[in-house]
Amino acid sequence: MDTKEHTIFQNYFKDFNNYDELLNVNLSTKDDWKVLLTNLTKIGSKALTTKQADLDWLLSENGVTYNVYNDPKGLNRPWNLNIVPFIIHQKEWKTVEQGITQRAELLNLILKDLYGKRELLKQGILPPEVVYAHRGFLRACDNIQYKTAKQLLIYAADLARGPDGRMWVVNDRSQAPSGMGYALENRFSTSKILPELYSNINVIHPSVFFNDFNQLLFNAAPSNKDNPTVVILTPGPHNETFFEHSYLSSLLGYPLVKGNDLVVRNSKVWLKSLNGLRQVDVILRRVDDIFVDPLELREDSYLGVAGLLEAVRMQNVTVVNPIGSGVLENPGLIPFMKNICKYFLNEDLILPQIASWWCGQEKERHYVINNMKSFVVKRIDRLHRESLFFCEFLSEQELKTLKLKILANPYQYVAQEKIYFSTAPNFVNGALEPRKIVSRTFAIAKNDSYSVMPGGLVRVAAEREKLIVSNQRGGTSKDFWIISDDDQHNIQLYAWNKTISNYTSNINDVPSYTAENLFWSGRYLGRTMLTARYLRMVLNQMANVQYNIRKSESESLTLLFKSITAITSTYPGFIEDEDTLKQPLKEIQNLVLDDTRIGSFAQTLMSFNNSYYSLRNLWSKDMWRVSDDIQRLWSNLKDDEQYTVQSLIKFFDKIITRLIAFMALTEESILVKQGLLLYFIGLQLEQATITISKFRALIIVKHDEELEYEILEALLASHESLNIYRYSYQSYLSIENVINLLLLDKDYARSLTYQIHRLKKDIDQLPNNTSNLGRSASQKQISLALQKIENIDLNFLLKVDQASNMYLNLEKLLADLSELLFDISSSIANTYFNHSYQQKQLVNRKASN
Amino acid sequence: MVFNISHTTTYKYENGVSYCQNLATLKPKDFKGHSLLDYTLEISPKPADFSERIDFFGNTITHFSIGQLHDELKVTARSKVDRNFDLQFEDIDLSSRKIITVDLAKRLLRGIEPELIDARQYTLKSPLISEISTDIRAYAKVSFKPNRPLYDAALELMQRIYTDFDFVSGFTNISTPLQDVMNEKKGVCQDFAQIAIACVRAMGLPARYVSGYIETLPPPGKEKLVGTDASHAWFSVFIPTLGWFDFDPTNNQIPKNQHLIVAHGRDYYDVPPLKGIIYTTGKNDMDVAVDIRPADVNK
Repeated sequence: MDTKEHTIFQNYFKDFNNYDELLNVNLSTKDDWKVLLTNLTKIGSKALTTKQADLDWLLSENGVTYNVYNDPKGLNRPWNLNIVPFIIHQKEWKTVEQGITQRAELLNLILKDLYGKRELLKQGILPPEVVYAHRGFLRACDNIQYKTAKQLLIYAADLARGPDGRMWVVNDRSQAPSGMGYALENRFSTSKILPELYSNINVIHPSVFFNDFNQLLFNAAPSNKDNPTVVILTPGPHNETFFEHSYLSSLLGYPLVKGNDLVVRNSKVWLKSLNGLRQVDVILRRVDDIFVDPLELREDSYLGVAGLLEAVRMQNVTVVNPIGSGVLENPGLIPFMKNICKYFLNEDLILPQIASWWCGQEKERHYVINNMKSFVVKRIDRLHRESLFFCEFLSEQELKTLKLKILANPYQYVAQEKIYFSTAPNFVNGALEPRKIVSRTFAIAKNDSYSVMPGGLVRVAAEREKLIVSNQRGGTSKDFWIISDDDQHNIQLYAWNKTISNYTSNINDVPSYTAENLFWSGRYLGRTMLTARYLRMVLNQMANVQYNIRKSESESLTLLFKSITAITSTYPGFIEDEDTLKQPLKEIQNLVLDDTRIGSFAQTLMSFNNSYYSLRNLWSKDMWRVSDDIQRLWSNLKDDEQYTVQSLIKFFDKIITRLIAFMALTEESILVKQGLLLYFIGLQLEQATITISKFRALIIVKHDEELEYEILEALLASHESLNIYRYSYQSYLSIENVINLLLLDKDYARSLTYQIHRLKKDIDQLPNNTSNLGRSASQKQISLALQKIENIDLNFLLKVDQASNMYLNLEKLLADLSELLFDISSSIANTYFNHSYQQKQLVNRKASN
Repeated sequence: MVFNISHTTTYKYENGVSYCQNLATLKPKDFKGHSLLDYTLEISPKPADFSERIDFFGNTITHFSIGQLHDELKVTARSKVDRNFDLQFEDIDLSSRKIITVDLAKRLLRGIEPELIDARQYTLKSPLISEISTDIRAYAKVSFKPNRPLYDAALELMQRIYTDFDFVSGFTNISTPLQDVMNEKKGVCQDFAQIAIACVRAMGLPARYVSGYIETLPPPGKEKLVGTDASHAWFSVFIPTLGWFDFDPTNNQIPKNQHLIVAHGRDYYDVPPLKGIIYTTGKNDMDVAVDIRPADVNK
């Protein structure tokens, strides 16, 4: 094919000076890419642009995100996937695969040796400082024995093609390598959006690899081999790859947990579930080494489990990868790998590595110091994301500082030759452009060897001339195809062997973290919704009053303003600060937008988002879409320059509809036995509590007839109950009927009695509440609440205390109920969430002689 | 000389602790010239699990946890140690300390004998001695002249710290940076040991932290009070071909038969006598009482 004729190539040759994956030096296309190019040209530039947009849309629909720490754009940056895949032929891949297997085995042996006999140091093959000066070498892990055949269970290699056309190893990743899930999602997305791309190309599927991965986790259990409990430990929703943690949790069917869901007792690890503790056999961790055990490692870490290392030592749990494996993420090893390979395997390294000089050696150090400009300098341990130094771009002053740093701690630095990675075609602005790429692929322990993922995750430099290729700094990704001359079975088998997939079957096993998030999701969703409705009601009243200046209406409006402050507990607000009443819109606007103000709509919405996002692995795609929509509405509102009563009403109309959709989706997407029960309890508790607050703010003081009428109308409107009222009573609004409908009606879903009844039913279903062993605290409290409201006499409630002109009996009932509901919330939290005790370090005093 | 040592740590918890996990480094070393005759560890309340192991540095670490709600944790280590300094060094030709100069020591360190490989890690940064400033380096240089015997240089460093630094308890706490100690020239034994270690490491030589006890004598004619001793710390310097030599900068003394050794580490971080993670809602406070006395007196 003559590439020059096609418009999609028009810019490809501009500044072409790299090894390119697609083109030979004479600018003819490489054989392996020919079919793909034909497919691409057949689809055409215009259709590709549309498909790329579809792909972006699909990824955002599926909620594929990547968080960048301290990103001004906030959480959940969309994942970028370029429509043009990266191709390697099976024939070449075979060598790469052998190379990765060899390197995984080698690193496995190094790991065993460094935490065991340390022969490499004793034999003089590896200088001790390469290990001892590395912050990832954890002395607490010394001499731990493992039952698994391999010590290194997962390995990821970053590969790039060097100027010589061979694939080189650029980085080793051995703690908790990320990318596997993104790689799989990339494959699913491209094959869904663009099946035409695959025509006449045999792409190998990674399903065998993922089966092996699942098998690895299952087999890693030190005991309880028939039915091990496997969990995935995540640092939480703020982690950059949280999407992947929840993705793997959904894919493999293992619960996603945080450190405080696990607890060590008697040197065994237990998962806190609603029904108590359940022993954990295998932890796939996405938490870095030093954070996994505050007892023996970083004391101030809240991401891990105190005592975990002791449980590992006692062989009561397997952590994948083992704690301490971070020492292998060490470019200081590179110069010695050749000899280590000879020593352990008596082989040559199959994959070339980047030429590296460890500054701990005198001769090497001199060479580096004298030729700084041509190097990339790194620390041997980059635990805290310290930067790389591209010396050619440093100023003289910066170079000098770096030199001093190296001389002060030479063991900690490695200098590497700057290499020019190959470029591969990327679809940019309707045409193909070359971009530097790095690909990450994965190996997992399987029997005596390693199983390598066919393909992996390809990352693409953000700009044409960028050297750094990293998702942490933005940039995009590619699907990675290993192509074969043989036909591939296009069956994507991700239904696991049924003997393996046996997790959560009932409410008892729901991790308490999930349960807690569901409970708070329910509460916050309820609160967001009711706050929105209440504010909308008041805004509507404001709009009415603008045209209609009756005295009672402005009086009722004042009352309503004050009630906002009471219901949302946003004092001083309208109650303690009379000035705000002069500019009510200003205060309401602040209540809508200020997310630092406790009780504001903004803050409630934010809390709702946070608790929901933590449950991401339970979401359906529709939920993601609606949530995205809510976010968009919210940021549009925040970008407004001017707020009016009308614009805020419009916003609330829209957001309330979405919240209702979200509520409905939650109820149909998550099973009661997955923990939805807790969501319902949270939601009902919130609704009941706010109903009570509204009555206490509006009804307790007896008003004159005209004002009372307006207040009752407002109350019903905020409760979305005007129509029901008219249908039920077909009469003038009266306080008797309103109390009957909103507080005492047994059948009306928005009445307090109904809500309390419903709460009792749900609370009775919680684990341990169904037995005959006596009722739990929350059961007693809800029964008492129900008893109080069911046995009340309406006339008694409506008795007005003459001295205060208040319905004091009503106030007493509501105050009692409010307190009971609060107690129920605490009882449930104490019984089931068990996070009430904080983890702390013992204080310590110095040796003081 | 045989000593009885008792070391009691008491934690009081404001709101009770539902669960705790602890690591104790309280068991004295057992080696030639420093024999551990007896050792018991009493823990109250009774621990739910309990295990002992030898750590990377050769110290004995006890791991225990308590599963019942408690307001107070009391840990008492009782040990009996037979200390004989001369016996420890009977096979070593101490006169060759004069031969091994600072410079020679550095050259000898490059070998690959197992002791050297082990010792070399003590030339590197460690958790609490992570930045060595230029003033620490300059302070060290005064004593560590290239042609001077390493032992003499370390001895002088010990003396200088004793003279230049004031013993002020309460001025520093567990998280006071080393540089503050250097700037203010104040602290307690732990600070002086770590300053000394930083100085030796600044010269590219190995130094380690020693955690232990020192027998203190009552003023003449007075009865010794129980529990007035405290845990102690000093530093140790590695002299290639000879081994480790201890120096006590707090007392300007070469530790001999009055110094009893519990653990070695890179710095205090590796060998805290007791540490732990507790689950509670309130504060916690600790109290330590140490008593050391010759065994025959106590009979």
